Amino acid sequence: MAIIFQLENVSVSFDKHAIVQRSLKHALSGWLRRHNRTTFYALSKVSVAIHEGDHVGLIGRNGAGKSTLLRVLTKVITPQEGSVSLCADRHIAPLLELGLGFHPDLSGRENCFLAGALMGYSATEIHRKMDGIIRFAELEEFIDEPVKNYSSGMFGRLAFALATDIEPEVLLVDEVFGVGDEFFMRKCVVRMQRLMQAGITTVFVSHNVDFLVAQCNRMIWLDKGHVVMDGPPREVAAAYRSAEGSLA
Amino acid sequence: MDVTSRRFLWLYAKSQLKLKYRDTYLGFVWNFVEPALYLGMLSVIFSAVNRMNMHDYTVFLFGALIPWRYFESAVSGATESIVGGGWLLKKMYVSPLVFPLIRWLVASLEFLFSFTVVLLLLIFMKDHWTVHLCILPLSILPWAMLSLGVGLICAVFFSFFRDVRPIVNMVMMFTFFSSPILFKIDFFDSHTLQAFLLKFHPMTYFAFLFQKPIYYASWPSMRDWGITFGISAAVVIIGCYLVHKFQGRYYFYL
Repeated sequence: MAIIFQLENVSVSFDKHAIVQRSLKHALSGWLRRHNRTTFYALSKVSVAIHEGDHVGLIGRNGAGKSTLLRVLTKVITPQEGSVSLCADRHIAPLLELGLGFHPDLSGRENCFLAGALMGYSATEIHRKMDGIIRFAELEEFIDEPVKNYSSGMFGRLAFALATDIEPEVLLVDEVFGVGDEFFMRKCVVRMQRLMQAGITTVFVSHNVDFLVAQCNRMIWLDKGHVVMDGPPREVAAAYRSAEGSLA
Repeated sequence: MDVTSRRFLWLYAKSQLKLKYRDTYLGFVWNFVEPALYLGMLSVIFSAVNRMNMHDYTVFLFGALIPWRYFESAVSGATESIVGGGWLLKKMYVSPLVFPLIRWLVASLEFLFSFTVVLLLLIFMKDHWTVHLCILPLSILPWAMLSLGVGLICAVFFSFFRDVRPIVNMVMMFTFFSSPILFKIDFFDSHTLQAFLLKFHPMTYFAFLFQKPIYYASWPSMRDWGITFGISAAVVIIGCYLVHKFQGRYYFYL
Protein backbone atom coordinates (compact mmCIF):
# COMPACT_ATOMS: atom_id res chain seq x y z
CA MET A 1 0.00 0.00 0.00
CA ALA A 2 1.29 3.47 -0.89
CA ILE A 3 2.99 5.49 1.80
CA ILE A 4 1.24 8.86 2.28
CA PHE A 5 3.55 10.30 4.96
CA GLN A 6 7.03 9.16 5.85
CA LEU A 7 8.77 10.82 8.80
CA GLU A 8 12.32 9.86 9.71
CA ASN A 9 14.02 11.08 12.89
CA VAL A 10 11.95 14.26 12.87
CA SER A 11 12.70 16.77 15.63
CA VAL A 12 10.98 20.09 16.21
CA SER A 13 12.31 22.44 18.83
CA PHE A 14 11.27 25.86 20.09
CA ASP A 15 13.51 28.45 21.69
CA LYS A 16 12.50 29.36 25.20
CA HIS A 17 12.12 33.09 25.92
CA ALA A 18 11.05 33.57 22.30
CA ILE A 19 9.65 37.05 23.00
CA VAL A 20 13.05 38.50 23.94
CA GLN A 21 14.64 36.86 20.94
CA ARG A 22 12.58 38.95 18.54
CA SER A 23 14.49 42.11 19.44
CA LEU A 24 17.52 43.37 17.60
CA LYS A 25 19.33 43.89 20.90
CA HIS A 26 19.06 40.20 21.75
CA ALA A 27 20.21 39.16 18.28
CA LEU A 28 23.25 41.47 18.43
CA SER A 29 24.25 40.38 21.92
CA GLY A 30 23.84 36.77 20.76
CA TRP A 31 26.31 37.34 17.94
CA LEU A 32 28.78 39.12 20.19
CA ARG A 33 28.66 36.88 23.26
CA ARG A 34 27.32 33.63 21.81
CA HIS A 35 25.06 33.01 24.80
CA ASN A 36 23.47 29.61 25.12
CA ARG A 37 19.97 29.13 23.85
CA THR A 38 17.58 27.02 25.84
CA THR A 39 15.39 24.91 23.62
CA PHE A 40 12.35 22.81 24.20
CA TYR A 41 11.73 19.74 22.02
CA ALA A 42 8.09 19.40 20.95
CA LEU A 43 9.01 16.36 18.84
CA SER A 44 12.17 14.35 19.31
CA LYS A 45 13.45 11.86 16.72
CA VAL A 46 10.01 10.73 15.61
CA SER A 47 9.88 8.13 12.83
CA VAL A 48 6.44 7.24 11.51
CA ALA A 49 5.06 5.97 8.20
CA ILE A 50 1.36 6.41 7.42
CA HIS A 51 -0.05 4.28 4.61
CA GLU A 52 -2.99 4.75 2.31
CA GLY A 53 -6.24 3.77 4.04
CA ASP A 54 -4.81 4.11 7.55
CA HIS A 55 -7.07 5.71 10.14
CA VAL A 56 -4.59 6.89 12.73
CA GLY A 57 -5.52 8.25 16.13
CA LEU A 58 -2.93 10.37 17.94
CA ILE A 59 -3.21 10.33 21.72
CA GLY A 60 -1.18 11.76 24.57
CA ARG A 61 -1.32 14.27 27.41
CA ASN A 62 -1.38 18.03 26.82
CA GLY A 63 1.96 19.13 25.38
CA ALA A 64 2.84 15.62 24.17
CA GLY A 65 3.46 16.85 20.61
CA LYS A 66 0.25 15.65 18.92
CA SER A 67 -0.66 18.96 17.31
CA THR A 68 2.97 19.62 16.40
CA LEU A 69 3.10 16.28 14.60
CA LEU A 70 -0.08 17.17 12.72
CA ARG A 71 1.44 20.51 11.75
CA VAL A 72 4.52 18.75 10.42
CA LEU A 73 2.28 16.50 8.30
CA THR A 74 0.47 19.55 6.91
CA LYS A 75 3.78 21.32 6.10
CA VAL A 76 2.92 24.17 8.49
CA ILE A 77 6.06 23.38 10.50
CA THR A 78 9.35 22.55 8.83
CA PRO A 79 11.29 20.39 11.29
CA GLN A 80 14.81 21.44 12.21
CA GLU A 81 16.04 17.86 11.99
CA GLY A 82 14.99 14.74 10.11
CA SER A 83 13.17 14.24 6.85
CA VAL A 84 9.50 14.37 5.89
CA SER A 85 8.21 13.02 2.60
CA LEU A 86 4.62 13.53 1.51
CA CYS A 87 2.76 11.83 -1.31
CA ALA A 88 2.46 14.86 -3.58
CA ASP A 89 -0.36 13.65 -5.82
CA ARG A 90 -2.87 13.16 -2.96
CA HIS A 91 -5.32 15.84 -1.97
CA ILE A 92 -4.62 16.53 1.68
CA ALA A 93 -7.26 18.54 3.58
CA PRO A 94 -6.08 19.82 6.95
CA LEU A 95 -8.75 20.48 9.54
CA LEU A 96 -6.64 21.86 12.34
CA GLU A 97 -9.17 24.42 13.41
CA LEU A 98 -12.76 24.87 12.36
CA GLY A 99 -13.40 28.01 10.37
CA LEU A 100 -9.78 28.66 9.56
CA GLY A 101 -9.53 31.23 6.79
CA PHE A 102 -13.00 32.57 7.60
CA HIS A 103 -13.26 36.34 7.75
CA PRO A 104 -15.90 37.56 10.21
CA ASP A 105 -17.11 40.37 7.94
CA LEU A 106 -17.63 38.19 4.88
CA SER A 107 -20.81 36.19 4.32
CA GLY A 108 -20.98 32.43 4.84
CA ARG A 109 -21.00 31.92 1.08
CA GLU A 110 -17.97 34.17 0.47
CA ASN A 111 -16.12 32.42 3.28
CA CYS A 112 -16.76 29.02 1.68
CA PHE A 113 -14.85 30.17 -1.40
CA LEU A 114 -12.02 31.65 0.66
CA ALA A 115 -11.58 28.72 3.06
CA GLY A 116 -12.24 26.26 0.22
CA ALA A 117 -9.31 27.76 -1.69
CA LEU A 118 -7.11 27.09 1.33
CA MET A 119 -8.16 23.46 1.26
CA GLY A 120 -7.07 23.26 -2.34
CA TYR A 121 -10.39 23.63 -4.14
CA SER A 122 -11.14 25.88 -7.09
CA ALA A 123 -14.06 28.30 -7.13
CA THR A 124 -15.84 26.05 -9.66
CA GLU A 125 -15.58 23.03 -7.36
CA ILE A 126 -16.89 25.00 -4.36
CA HIS A 127 -19.67 26.43 -6.51
CA ARG A 128 -20.76 22.91 -7.44
CA LYS A 129 -20.70 21.77 -3.81
CA MET A 130 -22.32 24.88 -2.37
CA ASP A 131 -25.91 23.58 -2.15
CA GLY A 132 -24.77 20.42 -0.35
CA ILE A 133 -22.68 22.44 2.11
CA ILE A 134 -25.58 24.79 2.91
CA ARG A 135 -27.97 21.87 3.37
CA PHE A 136 -25.62 19.92 5.65
CA ALA A 137 -24.84 23.01 7.73
CA GLU A 138 -28.58 23.80 7.97
CA LEU A 139 -27.92 27.43 7.09
CA GLU A 140 -30.31 27.98 4.17
CA GLU A 141 -31.60 31.30 5.54
CA PHE A 142 -28.31 32.70 6.80
CA ILE A 143 -25.72 31.78 4.18
CA ASP A 144 -25.52 35.35 2.83
CA GLU A 145 -25.22 36.93 6.29
CA PRO A 146 -21.76 37.92 7.62
CA VAL A 147 -20.39 35.07 9.73
CA LYS A 148 -19.75 37.47 12.63
CA ASN A 149 -23.52 37.36 13.18
CA TYR A 150 -23.53 33.55 13.42
CA SER A 151 -23.80 31.71 16.71
CA SER A 152 -20.79 29.54 17.53
CA GLY A 153 -22.81 26.46 16.59
CA MET A 154 -23.75 27.90 13.17
CA PHE A 155 -20.14 28.89 12.57
CA GLY A 156 -18.86 25.43 13.47
CA ARG A 157 -21.52 23.69 11.37
CA LEU A 158 -20.61 25.67 8.26
CA ALA A 159 -16.88 25.06 8.78
CA PHE A 160 -17.36 21.34 9.34
CA ALA A 161 -19.68 21.00 6.35
CA LEU A 162 -17.16 22.76 4.12
CA ALA A 163 -14.24 20.67 5.34
CA THR A 164 -15.94 17.33 4.86
CA ASP A 165 -18.27 17.89 1.91
CA ILE A 166 -15.35 18.21 -0.43
CA GLU A 167 -14.18 14.62 -0.03
CA PRO A 168 -10.42 14.82 0.29
CA GLU A 169 -8.09 11.84 -0.11
CA VAL A 170 -6.28 12.54 3.16
CA LEU A 171 -7.96 14.28 6.09
CA LEU A 172 -6.04 15.54 9.11
CA VAL A 173 -8.27 16.46 12.03
CA ASP A 174 -7.28 18.20 15.26
CA GLU A 175 -9.93 17.97 17.99
CA VAL A 176 -12.77 19.64 16.14
CA PHE A 177 -15.73 17.46 17.05
CA GLY A 178 -17.31 19.63 19.70
CA VAL A 179 -19.46 21.29 17.05
CA GLY A 180 -23.12 22.17 17.30
CA ASP A 181 -25.77 20.29 19.24
CA GLU A 182 -26.02 16.57 19.91
CA PHE A 183 -27.90 15.90 16.65
CA PHE A 184 -25.40 17.75 14.53
CA MET A 185 -22.51 15.94 16.23
CA ARG A 186 -24.10 12.64 15.31
CA LYS A 187 -24.38 13.84 11.70
CA CYS A 188 -20.68 14.74 11.78
CA VAL A 189 -19.65 11.31 13.04
CA VAL A 190 -21.77 9.60 10.37
CA ARG A 191 -20.16 11.73 7.69
CA MET A 192 -16.67 10.98 9.00
CA GLN A 193 -17.45 7.25 9.01
CA ARG A 194 -18.71 7.47 5.43
CA LEU A 195 -15.49 9.22 4.37
CA MET A 196 -13.39 6.60 6.13
CA GLN A 197 -15.30 3.73 4.57
CA ALA A 198 -14.75 5.34 1.17
CA GLY A 199 -11.06 4.64 1.67
CA ILE A 200 -9.60 8.02 2.55
CA THR A 201 -6.63 8.23 4.88
CA THR A 202 -7.28 10.02 8.17
CA VAL A 203 -5.18 11.21 11.07
CA PHE A 204 -7.12 12.30 14.15
CA VAL A 205 -5.92 14.14 17.22
CA SER A 206 -8.34 13.84 20.08
CA HIS A 207 -8.56 13.46 23.83
CA ASN A 208 -11.65 11.32 23.32
CA VAL A 209 -9.85 7.96 23.39
CA ASP A 210 -13.08 5.93 23.09
CA PHE A 211 -14.00 7.76 19.89
CA LEU A 212 -10.56 7.05 18.44
CA VAL A 213 -10.70 3.37 19.43
CA ALA A 214 -14.07 3.06 17.68
CA GLN A 215 -13.03 4.91 14.50
CA CYS A 216 -9.35 4.15 13.94
CA ASN A 217 -7.41 1.09 12.85
CA ARG A 218 -4.11 2.34 14.30
CA MET A 219 -3.15 4.41 17.29
CA ILE A 220 0.00 6.34 18.16
CA TRP A 221 0.70 7.40 21.74
CA LEU A 222 3.00 10.37 22.11
CA ASP A 223 4.63 11.60 25.27
CA LYS A 224 7.02 14.56 25.60
CA GLY A 225 7.73 14.50 21.88
CA HIS A 226 8.51 10.78 21.70
CA VAL A 227 6.47 7.93 20.22
CA VAL A 228 5.74 5.66 23.19
CA MET A 229 3.62 3.11 21.37
CA ASP A 230 2.27 2.54 17.87
CA GLY A 231 -0.18 -0.28 17.18
CA PRO A 232 -3.78 -1.53 17.31
CA PRO A 233 -6.09 1.04 19.01
CA ARG A 234 -7.35 -1.21 21.83
CA GLU A 235 -3.88 -2.21 22.98
CA VAL A 236 -2.43 1.28 22.77
CA ALA A 237 -5.46 2.82 24.52
CA ALA A 238 -5.24 0.24 27.34
CA ALA A 239 -1.51 0.84 27.82
CA TYR A 240 -2.00 4.63 27.71
CA ARG A 241 -4.81 4.51 30.27
CA SER A 242 -2.96 2.27 32.66
CA ALA A 243 0.24 4.31 32.45
CA GLU A 244 -1.40 7.74 32.70
CA GLY A 245 -4.04 6.54 35.14
CA SER A 246 -1.38 5.28 37.53
CA LEU A 247 0.15 8.77 37.58
CA ALA A 248 -3.08 10.32 38.78
CA MET B 1 4.12 29.52 -5.43
CA ASP B 2 1.73 26.55 -5.33
CA VAL B 3 -1.82 26.58 -6.75
CA THR B 4 -3.50 26.77 -3.32
CA SER B 5 -1.48 29.83 -2.31
CA ARG B 6 -2.21 31.50 -5.65
CA ARG B 7 -5.95 30.90 -5.38
CA PHE B 8 -5.99 32.18 -1.82
CA LEU B 9 -3.95 35.24 -2.81
CA TRP B 10 -6.51 36.40 -5.38
CA LEU B 11 -9.55 35.66 -3.27
CA TYR B 12 -8.13 37.26 -0.15
CA ALA B 13 -6.89 40.37 -1.97
CA LYS B 14 -10.35 40.72 -3.56
CA SER B 15 -12.10 40.32 -0.21
CA GLN B 16 -9.72 42.80 1.46
CA LEU B 17 -10.58 45.43 -1.15
CA LYS B 18 -14.28 44.64 -0.92
CA LEU B 19 -14.30 44.85 2.88
CA LYS B 20 -12.24 48.04 2.97
CA TYR B 21 -14.79 49.93 0.94
CA ARG B 22 -18.02 48.02 1.61
CA ASP B 23 -19.05 50.10 4.60
CA THR B 24 -17.78 53.50 3.44
CA TYR B 25 -20.19 55.89 1.77
CA LEU B 26 -17.66 57.20 -0.76
CA GLY B 27 -15.84 53.88 -1.15
CA PHE B 28 -12.92 54.01 -3.58
CA VAL B 29 -13.22 57.81 -3.89
CA TRP B 30 -11.33 58.17 -0.61
CA ASN B 31 -8.24 57.06 -2.51
CA PHE B 32 -8.42 60.23 -4.48
CA VAL B 33 -9.54 62.66 -1.74
CA GLU B 34 -6.68 61.86 0.61
CA PRO B 35 -3.76 62.30 -1.84
CA ALA B 36 -5.45 65.36 -3.35
CA LEU B 37 -5.62 67.00 0.07
CA TYR B 38 -2.02 66.06 0.81
CA LEU B 39 -0.91 67.40 -2.55
CA GLY B 40 -2.90 70.59 -2.03
CA MET B 41 -1.40 71.30 1.38
CA LEU B 42 2.16 70.63 0.28
CA SER B 43 1.63 72.81 -2.81
CA VAL B 44 0.58 75.80 -0.71
CA ILE B 45 3.52 75.49 1.67
CA PHE B 46 6.36 74.41 -0.59
CA SER B 47 5.54 76.65 -3.55
CA ALA B 48 6.50 79.51 -1.21
CA VAL B 49 9.65 77.70 -0.01
CA ASN B 50 10.69 76.94 -3.56
CA ARG B 51 9.69 80.44 -4.75
CA MET B 52 7.57 78.96 -7.53
CA ASN B 53 4.18 79.75 -8.96
CA MET B 54 1.68 77.55 -7.11
CA HIS B 55 0.07 76.02 -10.22
CA ASP B 56 3.46 75.24 -11.64
CA TYR B 57 4.66 73.78 -8.37
CA THR B 58 1.57 71.57 -7.95
CA VAL B 59 2.24 69.98 -11.34
CA PHE B 60 5.90 69.45 -10.37
CA LEU B 61 5.01 68.00 -6.98
CA PHE B 62 2.40 65.70 -8.46
CA GLY B 63 5.11 64.11 -10.61
CA ALA B 64 6.89 62.18 -7.89
CA LEU B 65 4.70 62.59 -4.82
CA ILE B 66 1.90 60.26 -5.96
CA PRO B 67 4.23 57.32 -6.79
CA TRP B 68 6.16 58.02 -3.56
CA ARG B 69 2.99 57.72 -1.52
CA TYR B 70 2.26 54.45 -3.28
CA PHE B 71 5.76 53.19 -2.44
CA GLU B 72 5.38 54.29 1.17
CA SER B 73 1.97 52.68 1.64
CA ALA B 74 2.97 49.42 -0.09
CA VAL B 75 6.15 49.06 1.99
CA SER B 76 4.46 50.05 5.21
CA GLY B 77 1.63 47.53 4.63
CA ALA B 78 3.98 44.73 3.59
CA THR B 79 6.37 45.15 6.53
CA GLU B 80 4.05 43.62 9.11
CA SER B 81 2.27 41.35 6.64
CA ILE B 82 4.01 38.02 7.37
CA VAL B 83 3.63 38.52 11.13
CA GLY B 84 0.04 39.68 10.53
CA GLY B 85 -0.59 36.48 8.57
CA GLY B 86 0.40 34.42 11.62
CA TRP B 87 -3.24 33.49 12.22
CA LEU B 88 -3.04 31.37 9.06
CA LEU B 89 0.65 30.55 8.77
CA LYS B 90 0.51 28.84 12.17
CA LYS B 91 -2.43 26.66 11.21
CA MET B 92 -2.27 25.89 7.52
CA TYR B 93 0.31 25.70 4.79
CA VAL B 94 0.35 28.70 2.46
CA SER B 95 3.37 30.34 0.92
CA PRO B 96 4.53 33.23 3.19
CA LEU B 97 4.93 35.23 -0.02
CA VAL B 98 1.12 35.50 -0.14
CA PHE B 99 0.81 38.11 2.62
CA PRO B 100 3.25 40.78 1.35
CA LEU B 101 1.85 40.20 -2.15
CA ILE B 102 -1.71 40.86 -0.99
CA ARG B 103 -0.68 44.18 0.60
CA TRP B 104 1.25 45.12 -2.51
CA LEU B 105 -1.66 44.23 -4.82
CA VAL B 106 -4.13 46.27 -2.79
CA ALA B 107 -1.76 49.27 -2.62
CA SER B 108 -1.09 49.00 -6.38
CA LEU B 109 -4.77 49.00 -7.29
CA GLU B 110 -5.48 51.96 -5.04
CA PHE B 111 -2.51 53.81 -6.54
CA LEU B 112 -3.69 53.19 -10.11
CA PHE B 113 -7.08 54.62 -9.25
CA SER B 114 -5.84 57.69 -7.40
CA PHE B 115 -3.14 58.36 -10.00
CA THR B 116 -5.65 58.31 -12.88
CA VAL B 117 -8.06 60.64 -11.09
CA VAL B 118 -5.40 63.12 -9.97
CA LEU B 119 -3.88 63.09 -13.47
CA LEU B 120 -7.25 63.98 -14.99
CA LEU B 121 -7.62 66.82 -12.49
CA LEU B 122 -4.19 68.20 -13.23
CA ILE B 123 -5.09 68.60 -16.89
CA PHE B 124 -6.86 71.78 -15.76
CA MET B 125 -3.78 73.04 -13.93
CA LYS B 126 -1.24 72.75 -16.73
CA ASP B 127 -1.42 74.91 -19.85
CA HIS B 128 -0.49 72.29 -22.39
CA TRP B 129 0.20 68.61 -22.18
CA THR B 130 2.71 66.81 -24.34
CA VAL B 131 3.07 63.39 -25.92
CA HIS B 132 5.60 62.45 -23.22
CA LEU B 133 2.75 61.54 -20.90
CA CYS B 134 2.17 58.32 -22.80
CA ILE B 135 5.34 56.89 -21.19
CA LEU B 136 3.78 57.05 -17.69
CA PRO B 137 2.42 53.46 -17.66
CA LEU B 138 6.01 52.28 -18.15
CA SER B 139 7.24 54.68 -15.44
CA ILE B 140 4.95 52.93 -12.96
CA LEU B 141 6.72 49.61 -13.49
CA PRO B 142 10.06 50.31 -11.68
CA TRP B 143 8.14 51.92 -8.79
CA ALA B 144 5.88 48.87 -8.53
CA MET B 145 8.86 46.51 -8.57
CA LEU B 146 10.72 48.62 -6.00
CA SER B 147 7.65 48.66 -3.71
CA LEU B 148 7.29 44.90 -3.95
CA GLY B 149 10.98 44.18 -3.40
CA VAL B 150 11.48 46.55 -0.46
CA GLY B 151 8.18 45.33 1.02
CA LEU B 152 9.33 41.70 0.85
CA ILE B 153 12.71 42.49 2.44
CA CYS B 154 11.11 44.50 5.26
CA ALA B 155 8.51 41.76 5.86
CA VAL B 156 11.25 39.14 6.27
CA PHE B 157 13.32 41.25 8.67
CA PHE B 158 10.28 42.33 10.68
CA SER B 159 9.35 38.67 11.22
CA PHE B 160 12.62 38.10 13.06
CA PHE B 161 13.29 41.54 14.58
CA ARG B 162 10.42 43.72 15.70
CA ASP B 163 12.76 46.76 15.83
CA VAL B 164 12.56 46.90 12.06
CA ARG B 165 9.29 48.92 12.06
CA PRO B 166 10.70 52.22 13.44
CA ILE B 167 13.88 51.75 11.41
CA VAL B 168 11.83 51.42 8.20
CA ASN B 169 9.83 54.54 9.10
CA MET B 170 13.00 56.55 9.72
CA VAL B 171 14.70 55.39 6.52
CA MET B 172 11.57 56.24 4.54
CA MET B 173 11.40 59.69 6.08
CA PHE B 174 15.07 60.35 5.40
CA THR B 175 14.76 59.12 1.80
CA PHE B 176 11.72 61.32 1.19
CA PHE B 177 13.19 64.56 2.49
CA SER B 178 16.62 63.98 0.95
CA SER B 179 15.33 63.22 -2.54
CA PRO B 180 14.17 65.70 -5.18
CA ILE B 181 10.47 65.00 -4.69
CA LEU B 182 9.59 68.20 -2.82
CA PHE B 183 12.23 70.39 -4.48
CA LYS B 184 13.62 70.64 -7.99
CA ILE B 185 17.00 69.11 -8.76
CA ASP B 186 18.39 72.56 -9.66
CA PHE B 187 17.41 73.91 -6.23
CA PHE B 188 21.10 73.58 -5.26
CA ASP B 189 23.88 75.14 -7.32
CA SER B 190 25.62 72.54 -9.43
CA HIS B 191 28.98 72.91 -7.65
CA THR B 192 27.56 72.33 -4.14
CA LEU B 193 27.93 69.12 -2.15
CA GLN B 194 24.15 68.68 -2.02
CA ALA B 195 23.86 68.70 -5.82
CA PHE B 196 26.73 66.22 -6.03
CA LEU B 197 25.11 63.88 -3.49
CA LEU B 198 21.75 64.01 -5.27
CA LYS B 199 23.37 62.44 -8.32
CA PHE B 200 23.97 59.33 -6.21
CA HIS B 201 20.51 59.31 -4.63
CA PRO B 202 18.57 56.46 -6.27
CA MET B 203 15.27 58.23 -5.65
CA THR B 204 16.42 61.05 -7.96
CA TYR B 205 16.17 58.69 -10.93
CA PHE B 206 12.90 57.16 -9.79
CA ALA B 207 11.47 60.69 -9.44
CA PHE B 208 12.68 61.59 -12.96
CA LEU B 209 10.51 58.83 -14.45
CA PHE B 210 7.44 60.88 -13.54
CA GLN B 211 8.80 64.43 -13.30
CA LYS B 212 10.30 64.47 -16.78
CA PRO B 213 7.14 63.51 -18.73
CA ILE B 214 4.77 65.47 -16.48
CA TYR B 215 6.70 68.63 -15.60
CA TYR B 216 9.74 68.97 -17.85
CA ALA B 217 7.91 67.68 -20.98
CA SER B 218 10.78 65.36 -21.88
CA TRP B 219 11.49 61.63 -22.02
CA PRO B 220 13.32 59.95 -19.14
CA SER B 221 16.88 59.18 -20.28
CA MET B 222 18.30 55.70 -20.84
CA ARG B 223 20.35 56.29 -17.70
CA ASP B 224 17.11 56.85 -15.70
CA TRP B 225 15.58 53.65 -17.05
CA GLY B 226 18.76 51.64 -16.56
CA ILE B 227 19.30 52.69 -12.94
CA THR B 228 15.65 52.34 -11.88
CA PHE B 229 15.00 49.01 -13.59
CA GLY B 230 18.37 47.70 -12.37
CA ILE B 231 17.76 48.66 -8.73
CA SER B 232 14.13 47.53 -8.66
CA ALA B 233 14.84 44.16 -10.33
CA ALA B 234 17.72 43.52 -7.90
CA VAL B 235 15.51 44.40 -4.92
CA VAL B 236 12.71 42.06 -6.09
CA ILE B 237 15.17 39.21 -6.58
CA ILE B 238 16.71 39.76 -3.12
CA GLY B 239 13.22 39.99 -1.56
CA CYS B 240 11.97 36.74 -3.16
CA TYR B 241 15.22 34.99 -2.24
CA LEU B 242 14.95 36.05 1.42
CA VAL B 243 11.29 35.03 1.73
CA HIS B 244 12.13 31.65 0.24
CA LYS B 245 15.33 31.16 2.25
CA PHE B 246 13.63 31.59 5.62
CA GLN B 247 10.40 29.80 4.61
CA GLY B 248 10.65 27.14 7.29
CA ARG B 249 11.54 29.54 10.10
CA TYR B 250 8.66 32.04 10.26
CA TYR B 251 6.50 29.67 12.30
CA PHE B 252 8.87 29.90 15.24
CA TYR B 253 8.84 33.71 15.27
CA LEU B 254 5.14 34.46 14.73
